[in-house]
Amino acid sequence: MSVNEETLMAYADGELDPLTAKRVECAIAADPALADRVDRHRALRARITAGFAPIAEEPVPGHLSDMLHGNIVRLADHAPRPTMRRWRGLAAMAACLIVGLMLGLAFQPQGSVVARGDGLYASGSLARALDDQPGGAAGKVRVAVSFRDRQGIYCRVFSAAPADGIACRDAVGWALRRTRPGTVAPSTAYAQAGSADPDLMAAAQDMMAGAPLDAAGEADARVHGWR
Amino acid sequence: MLALLPRLRRFARALARDAADADDLCQVTVEKALLARTSWQPGTRMDSWMYRIMRNAWIDTTRSRRRASETFVDADAGAAIGGDGGAEARVALNEVEAAMRALPAEQREAVALVLVEGLAYREAADVLDIPMGTLTSRLVRGRQALMVRLGEAA
Repeated sequence: MSVNEETLMAYADGELDPLTAKRVECAIAADPALADRVDRHRALRARITAGFAPIAEEPVPGHLSDMLHGNIVRLADHAPRPTMRRWRGLAAMAACLIVGLMLGLAFQPQGSVVARGDGLYASGSLARALDDQPGGAAGKVRVAVSFRDRQGIYCRVFSAAPADGIACRDAVGWALRRTRPGTVAPSTAYAQAGSADPDLMAAAQDMMAGAPLDAAGEADARVHGWR
Repeated sequence: MLALLPRLRRFARALARDAADADDLCQVTVEKALLARTSWQPGTRMDSWMYRIMRNAWIDTTRSRRRASETFVDADAGAAIGGDGGAEARVALNEVEAAMRALPAEQREAVALVLVEGLAYREAADVLDIPMGTLTSRLVRGRQALMVRLGEAA
């Protein structure tokens, strides 16, 4: 497989979707010259970043900060207040709880999430989408990528209005391995390949054994009930 | 906005031809941002908004300069500026700065946003108001030129 310079650069910068990144990795494994080019991109990036970093460490000249200090209207300051920091841990826990509640409540009318045994499972419209919907297809639920984890279990990264997550097909059903607040606006009709949450995609990449499924692989898994 | 000033100064240095011009560019950017502050929409990224203001101000100054048919300081002369400290970081900065200055404007702004400021491709393309494909091709050409100029063994 030939890899053009743009794709290699995007790979070096971590900008590729997992599917393309896996393909590039396969190409690199077959051709050490490609690995060299990736290294050169990374080395250059590190050098440019380090070259300019000291400027952001310098104190800001007085005349610049005075322009803002003297101004009556203060625009939003991004520095977190100390009290915020103390509560962040608790807030994060609360956020997880809220996501859980949202999942339960938002999917309630369709009954799309159920607690079974020791975890949350997809049911209703979410489970149907995970069972039947091809990756990349638009809908209330979108599946970004499908893959097999290291135990050989099929998993799918999904986006839906109340939550995004990774669901894996075990003996009981689609177990929700990860969830986070949803990014799909109800009006969104078009799913871009790289539009899934980057953290989820990174998590998927960690779980993945081999390459993500292509369309034929997905179809085959679907026929066999993802088992 | 105050918290963004260090990053804006860094971005200005990556764009402008020398430290003095970078400071002027920062000042103009803050002035413009204060005047246009109602156009910033809460909930959107203020850094992207400020980068865009700075980049447009930079384009304006380079354009008016070209009209006044001033000659550009060449890259080697640029390397001498600010080198009086003698610290190693300074020297390294000047090499990188000089190499950046040798790039055409459209490659320099792409490199500045992605490699200096660490924006994702999508964010950088939005700041520059260009399609992703245009951004990546400018970025590739800029990087290849920098590799040649800085010597490949970084």
